Amino acid sequence: MLKALTANRLADGEVVFWSGERWIARFGLARLFDDDQIAEAAEAHAKTQITELVDPYLIEVSAVDGGFAPVSYRERIRALGPTNKPDHGKQALGGADVEVLVHAQGAARSKGRVDLIRRK
Amino acid sequence: MYRYDEIDQEMLADRTAEFRAQCERRLAGELTEEQFKPLRLMNGLYLQLHAYMLRIAIPYGTLSSARMRRLAHIARTYDRGYGHFTTRTNLQLHWIKLKDAPDILDQLAEVGLHAIQTSGNCIRNVTADPYSGAIAGEADDPRVWAEAIRQWSTFHPEFSYLPRKFKIAVTATEADRAATQIYDIGLRLHRDAEGGLAFDVGVGGGLGRTPYLGPTIRRSLPARHLLSYLQAILRVFNRHGRRDNIHKARIKILVAQLGAEEFARQVEAEWEASDNAAVDLPDEELARIRAGFVANFEFLPEVSEVFEAARAANKAFARFVRHNVVAHKVPGYAIVNVSLKAIGETPGDCSAEQMDLIADLAERYSKDEVRVAYEQNLILPHVKLDDLPVVFEALASGGLATPNIGLISDIIACPGLDYCALANARAIPIAQDIAKRFEDPVLAERIGELKIKISGCINACGHHHVGHIGILGVDKKGEEFYQLTVGGSGEGDASLGQILGPAVPAGRVAGAVDELVGVYLAERREGERFLDTVRRTGLAPFKTAVYADAH
Repeated sequence: MLKALTANRLADGEVVFWSGERWIARFGLARLFDDDQIAEAAEAHAKTQITELVDPYLIEVSAVDGGFAPVSYRERIRALGPTNKPDHGKQALGGADVEVLVHAQGAARSKGRVDLIRRK
Repeated sequence: MYRYDEIDQEMLADRTAEFRAQCERRLAGELTEEQFKPLRLMNGLYLQLHAYMLRIAIPYGTLSSARMRRLAHIARTYDRGYGHFTTRTNLQLHWIKLKDAPDILDQLAEVGLHAIQTSGNCIRNVTADPYSGAIAGEADDPRVWAEAIRQWSTFHPEFSYLPRKFKIAVTATEADRAATQIYDIGLRLHRDAEGGLAFDVGVGGGLGRTPYLGPTIRRSLPARHLLSYLQAILRVFNRHGRRDNIHKARIKILVAQLGAEEFARQVEAEWEASDNAAVDLPDEELARIRAGFVANFEFLPEVSEVFEAARAANKAFARFVRHNVVAHKVPGYAIVNVSLKAIGETPGDCSAEQMDLIADLAERYSKDEVRVAYEQNLILPHVKLDDLPVVFEALASGGLATPNIGLISDIIACPGLDYCALANARAIPIAQDIAKRFEDPVLAERIGELKIKISGCINACGHHHVGHIGILGVDKKGEEFYQLTVGGSGEGDASLGQILGPAVPAGRVAGAVDELVGVYLAERREGERFLDTVRRTGLAPFKTAVYADAH
């Protein structure tokens, strides 16, 4: 299963993804890891970036029509914004990558997020 | 309403200054998230799915127009122009930046608002009947006692690190609009046999994964001993409450394990052994607090010609009056419920413009007061009948005159998976679906009182256990499913709902509600609410209707 690395930005709580070079807002530009070891190393490094990030973790990603999307519903909501306010969150930016997420089907538990909740 | 004196204001300013320094240290990397998290939570700042969420305390749901305007200003300046009123009568702002939080707290403090007691294992913001001081039949104004509890409990050193969070609600009528039976402590104020003010004290109510209605452990406690008795309850909780398992740490678990009788015995023993005079409120202090809650009313005729003429001429106004206006204790006045459940909107959400409008109306027409109800609506508690038509028109102009209080579209919904880091499923879109399906006000009126309550997870912020129809979002193999309960109530006739059957997918929920309503309309007898019919017939006909296809 492909993975992406996500976190919330410390200063404003914004959901961010690791592009391979920097932390970015759009899931569509996130680096997708097909090697678990490399993904986990990136996650470990993210955990040291305490002035920039809160709670980095890996999410599962799968191929969908038109591109890739987080497997879990929760992560798609994080990547888009709240479904009750389409003008809030990243979905307001529009674009092909947002459309891919909006139309992605299927849902599954977000393992990374569940682990976080367990720790709370 | 509470008023902060110079010492209180200084305390708020000091606290914000302290938090500002803590935020700076966090942003500079001098504090880790693990170290900082408990500090930000103590200032009401949570990290949710999309941003930080600031939970602002609204003590016993009472706001002045100045405080409401400040909330509007903060929503407009630091958030996305709206806020969300919760079942705890607090206001949550869902798009807050950490770097702004100290400035926001400073601005709140200027008008005596804050986020104290909105997180952590302390005594949380105290709630009360939102009709306090306006409804007939009250033994006393519950806010006087809620304020006494607030002053006593804020930063109480002995009770700042309880086994788990602790919530207290106060009511003074049998209708129980404060849902006291689902609180850790529910206080029901009345006159005892001798005419003295007294509390029936319920302990150990709560929802979540193990729901209980709190048993009454003490009847007719003389009101003057309230604080010492609360102290005794909390000492027993602190002594025996579990700290090893977060799911078993609430006082309801302790009360259930010991049994209400044994728990009460221990509380009485603790109470007898304590120096209660040192804790109980002196009469002069109670009088000082009480003075903050006295409203002066004019002598007005019982019948207002202006009001009667408007009601006869305007059907929309007449409908609004039937559902949103409640008789006031003083002739010539009315209690006006302001629905935050416009059809298709998010339950409990209120825009900054709407907050400003309500503040203006409160200042001009309701003795400068607004109330927040746990059912996620607002209230203008003291409106003259003569002013009702003007207030109605103003509310309607702001999208705030939906005539649905207590009806099927007046739905409680927690923020759910759209915002909350703990949720398993969304609650808001389910509420929107149901409200749209029953949008026709004639149909909604024909169905009558029906309280639907939706939670996005088992923590039950949406009170689903006590909904006439309760809806709980669950994660079933990774998909959003919804478990239905029927027959619950959080009011004077409180009961926990019973699970109807297997959870249904999101797309089936509104249809299932339709089927439940269909059974009710077919089965109901004269004068029966949905809840009454369920209690009379039991679950069977409702279950058959919803799961007909499964057989």
